[in-house]
Amino acid sequence: MVKSLVFGQIREDNIEENTLGVLNKLTEISEISEIVVALLGHEIKDEWIEKLGKHGASKVITVKAPELEVYLSRPYVKAVLEIIKITEPKLVIAAGTVYGEDLIPRLAVHHGVSCAQRINDISSVGVELHFHTPVRDDQAMKVTKIEGTIKFATSRAGAFFVNENPTGGSPNVESLDVTFSEDDFLVKHIEIKKAERTVNLKDAKVIVAGGRGVGGKEQFQIIRELAEILGGEIGATRACTDVHWIEETYEIGQTGQSVSPDLYIAAGISGAPQHVSGIKAKTLIAINTDEGAAIFNFADYGIVGDLHVILPILKQKLQG
Amino acid sequence: MKIIVFIEQIVSTQVKLQGVDYFDPSRVSEDDLIINPSSKNALEGALKLKDQLGAEVTVVCVRGLKPNKALREAIAMGCTDAIEIADETIYTDDPLLLAKVYVETLEKIGEFDLVFLEAEEQATGSYAIGAMLSEKLGLPSVLYAEELEVIDSGYKVGHVLEGGRKIVAMPSKGIISCSDSQYFTPRYTSMRGILTAKRAVIPTWTAADLGLSSSVVGKEATSLIEVSLSNIVLEKESYIIKEGEPEEKVENLLAKLKEDEVKLGA
Repeated sequence: MVKSLVFGQIREDNIEENTLGVLNKLTEISEISEIVVALLGHEIKDEWIEKLGKHGASKVITVKAPELEVYLSRPYVKAVLEIIKITEPKLVIAAGTVYGEDLIPRLAVHHGVSCAQRINDISSVGVELHFHTPVRDDQAMKVTKIEGTIKFATSRAGAFFVNENPTGGSPNVESLDVTFSEDDFLVKHIEIKKAERTVNLKDAKVIVAGGRGVGGKEQFQIIRELAEILGGEIGATRACTDVHWIEETYEIGQTGQSVSPDLYIAAGISGAPQHVSGIKAKTLIAINTDEGAAIFNFADYGIVGDLHVILPILKQKLQG
Repeated sequence: MKIIVFIEQIVSTQVKLQGVDYFDPSRVSEDDLIINPSSKNALEGALKLKDQLGAEVTVVCVRGLKPNKALREAIAMGCTDAIEIADETIYTDDPLLLAKVYVETLEKIGEFDLVFLEAEEQATGSYAIGAMLSEKLGLPSVLYAEELEVIDSGYKVGHVLEGGRKIVAMPSKGIISCSDSQYFTPRYTSMRGILTAKRAVIPTWTAADLGLSSSVVGKEATSLIEVSLSNIVLEKESYIIKEGEPEEKVENLLAKLKEDEVKLGA
């Protein structure tokens, strides 16, 4: 049987959604005997612990310290290594957020093993755990296992279903003290610049989104025009918001907003996992010049072609 | 100031290969190979510092069927020199083994200040290399960087974060992995750079030159065992229109949407 340790992550004053997905996934695996969550921070709320318990955690180990208010690699690695030492898990797993992807490989190095990343499934074959990772623009599936007494993995964002009505109980809680030194803070936190979210895309029924293929700020006009005709909203990848072709509020994906429209038109979007993990559309239409673009793997309909040629024609046909 | 950039050479997505064929070297020609776009972001980060602070930038490529192509392009972009690590015994599908090769490469190079590398190893889909290298060297690191500014104590770095961007300060010696961002948008090669690249003598190091054996960095040493690699069979059938004039394609799409009773519009 496998005892597991989950890295508990907080986002916007709540348990990060993908962390709950990881918990739910572990509860489905019969070989997992116990689910322990490592929860680190300056302040840790009782409601977070309760939520972790409801989603399957049988135990939560907390480390409270002002130094842990914001994630920084060294202090977090130090604290989680202490938790691993006392819990002796066979599997250590985190949701594949920026912090989760940073932490897990570091922990693995300290145990002399590698790690499986951005998995979208775990299967058990006898006593072995197999990790499933989509590779090469989601065209192929690589299944790996990790040799060693302890296995490390991260999940892909959105890979695991979050149970809306979890039925778990209250977990046992244990607190741990960890001492930090100046050397743990060679990288210093300055600030977090939160992206402005003035437009809520969560409830949008139709979204027309553009990616790097749009090519510039002015060229986004056709995306706006088509969205207006369809009575929908506009969206974009992080690449577009970073270069200020469009306001950051419109960013969709792992680091932006998650959306679930009836119709999603993806124009000039390659289909990187970080973007598509934020989309749960009933119908997805992709337009891209690259026939091999990953977005076509997720599309219900698609046109291989230049969005700057295709969208004006589509707009004209819809108006006519 | 000395900067080392580790880059990855990958098979272009423009190549008409599907799924597992990408991993079959016999299906890939030299023309199909490009520098991982994320590696180009890393090169840009190093070259910006070269412009600003007069750094010496050495580019290293371990992976790849024919790494020289990528290395010469990196020199043409502005790197000072290049080192090729070519040894079939190195198992590059395991980021931990790759990190061991990087550590020994840095040891052989000698003094350095900064290491730049890609955020994502595309061939393996791994995001681990920066974090693993940082732990193995015991050096501070900032991963998924999107912007960088030189400050008195080192660097102020902004990196990707869910819901925004985090700004941190790091010392002058460390590791930075770079994301696709405005700041790290790669420059083009220059005519002068292309001529320099053509003339460049690129040394080739093997695992043995780094004091490594296959029992340390070969497939036999990996803890990440590949159980299977297979094509993903899509559960849903996609209707992708590839042929025809643009107007025909749009008409084809609208007709199909109508037939399938897909509502266009809110």
